[in-house]
Amino acid sequence: MPAVERGERRPGWAVALLVETGATLSRSLDPATTMSEVAKLTIPALADLCVVDLANGDDAIGEIAAASADPDLAAGLEELRSRFPLDIQGPHPVARVIRTGEPELLAEMGPESLRSFAQASEHARFMIANGYRSAIVAPLTARGRTLGALSTIRLAGGETYDPDDLELVCELARRAALAIDNARLFSDLQTAERRLQAVLENLAEAITLVDRSGRTVFANEAALTLLGLESADALVDAKPGEVMSRFLVLSESGEELSLEEMPARRLFRGEPVEPLLVRNIVRATGEERWIIVRASPIVDPRSSRVMYAANVFEDVTEVKRAQLAEGFMAQASRVLASSMDYTETLGRVAKLAAGDLADWCAVDVLGERDRIERVAVYHRDPEKLALAEQLDRSYRPALEDPVGVPEVIRTGQARLFNDIGEHDLAKYARDAEHLRLLTEMGARDVIIVPLAAATRTLGAITLVSSRHGRRLGDADLGVAVRLGRRAGIAVESARLYTERSRIARVLQRALLPDSLPEVPGFEVAARHRPAGELNEVGGDFYDVFPYRNDTWMLLIGDVCGKGPEAASVTALARHTLRTAAMLGTPPAAMLELLHDALRSQEPEGQMCTVCLVVVDSPETHVEGKRARLRIALAGHPRPLIVEPAGRSRAVGEPGTILGMVDPVVVNEATVELDDAETLLLYTDGVTDAARSRTQAALDLESVIALARELALGEMLAAVEAAAVTSAGGQPQDDIALVALRIARGRSAGAGGPPAAARRGLESPPNER
Amino acid sequence: MSADERFRVAARPGRERLILELQGELDMASADLLGDALAGANLANSDAVVLDLGGVSFADSTGLKAIFRVRKLVNEGGRKFAVTRGSPQVQRLLGLTRLDEHLQTLQTPDDELD
Repeated sequence: MPAVERGERRPGWAVALLVETGATLSRSLDPATTMSEVAKLTIPALADLCVVDLANGDDAIGEIAAASADPDLAAGLEELRSRFPLDIQGPHPVARVIRTGEPELLAEMGPESLRSFAQASEHARFMIANGYRSAIVAPLTARGRTLGALSTIRLAGGETYDPDDLELVCELARRAALAIDNARLFSDLQTAERRLQAVLENLAEAITLVDRSGRTVFANEAALTLLGLESADALVDAKPGEVMSRFLVLSESGEELSLEEMPARRLFRGEPVEPLLVRNIVRATGEERWIIVRASPIVDPRSSRVMYAANVFEDVTEVKRAQLAEGFMAQASRVLASSMDYTETLGRVAKLAAGDLADWCAVDVLGERDRIERVAVYHRDPEKLALAEQLDRSYRPALEDPVGVPEVIRTGQARLFNDIGEHDLAKYARDAEHLRLLTEMGARDVIIVPLAAATRTLGAITLVSSRHGRRLGDADLGVAVRLGRRAGIAVESARLYTERSRIARVLQRALLPDSLPEVPGFEVAARHRPAGELNEVGGDFYDVFPYRNDTWMLLIGDVCGKGPEAASVTALARHTLRTAAMLGTPPAAMLELLHDALRSQEPEGQMCTVCLVVVDSPETHVEGKRARLRIALAGHPRPLIVEPAGRSRAVGEPGTILGMVDPVVVNEATVELDDAETLLLYTDGVTDAARSRTQAALDLESVIALARELALGEMLAAVEAAAVTSAGGQPQDDIALVALRIARGRSAGAGGPPAAARRGLESPPNER
Repeated sequence: MSADERFRVAARPGRERLILELQGELDMASADLLGDALAGANLANSDAVVLDLGGVSFADSTGLKAIFRVRKLVNEGGRKFAVTRGSPQVQRLLGLTRLDEHLQTLQTPDDELD
């Protein structure tokens, strides 16, 4: 309430007004309130109407506050000004004062003069109607800047202003200007601070401010979330170091870090500060995050001392986890690819996973008769490892168990169990001892993923984190699922490899006769040496069986290519030829049949070379015994007849290779074999074992010449050995050999020693 | 030794024909390279493809199969196909399999084609 009433101009009223002004103005720091307080101060002692106009820096005058004993008058003026803002370049005294910074005393204003500076005719009417009579307009100047103007107006019936009044109003205006400017500055500052705070709050990066004592004075939302704190107050009230103690802070290499090693502390000690990557584990929840901590100094300009450290925390958990997962998977893949012994491999994978992902890792596979078998287990803690092994021995799960490894194997679906409590264990345990062991293992989070091969689940990988370790989450589940797939494929390949070797051995035997039949009047021998690995089924084949009219058939062939396709063609060739022979088909027609069979095979382009020899019974002549041979060739090397002197001659006429071009031309050739000679059928693996230029070619004729005196089986062994040697010990192709001789010194059909040179296979002959 | 060390194919244009010069051993390990060479060759101005086997020291049945696969592709494209003589081993194998009867064999890669 103003201390001075209108008309009562007691001595010292002006001083009282100024004192009052000071008190009023110091009460508020809000510019609008300050303006209106200033206006009110002058009523009624100094004015009937008081207006405060503030320049807003543009061409118009912005804010206005008016006061009057008559509230309608003040409100009317404010309303009018809002509709007709004063033009700062215009003739209105307020505009003039703001422009010049000089006060004006308008002692007596007539209607003419009012009209002359009115902003609009309505404005003029308003002033005239309300009886504007005398006015003082004083500049509101603070800190060398004119902020606006303070106008006091006396209406008709009141006194006119004199220079003393002008002086007083000017003084009042000076004080008011300072108050308004302060309020404005404060408001700007507040706005700036609010803006800064808003920026900090909304930053995705977590930010805290720490003072020299280590106390946190500010933390934004993101920081609270990242650090797992309930409220900023909890943080700000905490004692230095108390916040840090909530976390297990580890370096990238896994060593625990102390508060003193944090960038902010180093900053205060004046040490150089590098961004620090830490693994932050919330002790209460086990939640793990990877964070880059940066600290920047906030320096007091006067003392140049670091007053605060601003911590910026960047959450790089996703990136880091992905990076770790990649590293882990790369390592696991290397381990998995390192060996075909999958038990050993899985053991190494378990160790790797227990080190990088969890505390404990076990691998179970589904064995024979659907039994779940533990193939690998690893725990970081050797005591716990023993416990894990005991658990498995005593309480191995069965496939029909509802949860855990059996469930994952049955469904092929990965599972993540978080926060396993006593209640869960009690439900799972089979008895008190089981529960005791499980409790002692201290599992908190468990991931079980399928060991997944292409079409089936071979087993499961279990990852367990214990109470004190890191938590397992969805990201880990993803990594584990990938591990399960990778390991599943490795196990499947290893099993297939073993399986394939077995199948190859079985198949190879199926493609060759178990043993050679006894051919009356003859000695027969054969050898077969598959090239390369055990699991590659070769393409060479041979056979010896009775043909029509007491004749016998010898055959040898070579299917182009290796592996399962070649094996299937080999089977097709052997069985087609056998069946055709059984039906008495002539040799050339047998070959044509096989050609047609190959042409209708999928995939196209399977080809094969064959040599057929029909052996008639030996006949006795003057010089000794002799046998007629009918030879049919289809793309196959011509057989050799080794003569007693050591020379050998190739016999038979070349015929078209089978399965490749039409028509197949086969010309049967008839030759004689006498009892001093040997017939040798071979595949090109014998002659081509050595390649031209790189190795010395096998001189088959010389080898045969040297070996011709040996027993038939030994002769073939010698030829094979020579071929293998010429290929540097590792022939690229199969080698097959069949040899025939007329039994020496005995008549045909007279029995005698077993003519067949056994191939040394354990199974008894079954193809007679 | 890898396949491409033991076997090489170079393409060069000849008289209205593409000549593929084969060098080395043509077998299971190198057969695919021959197919690749044909697939990568520009046949736009060629009425024929000639495989110059002069530099082929060795071939096996897989190698012959590769030659005939090329022949099939070339013929299907409406072009003529021919070969030149390879090493004695190659010629022996072609004779043994009677596949020589199905190939036009030129003295030099630029000889007249039938």
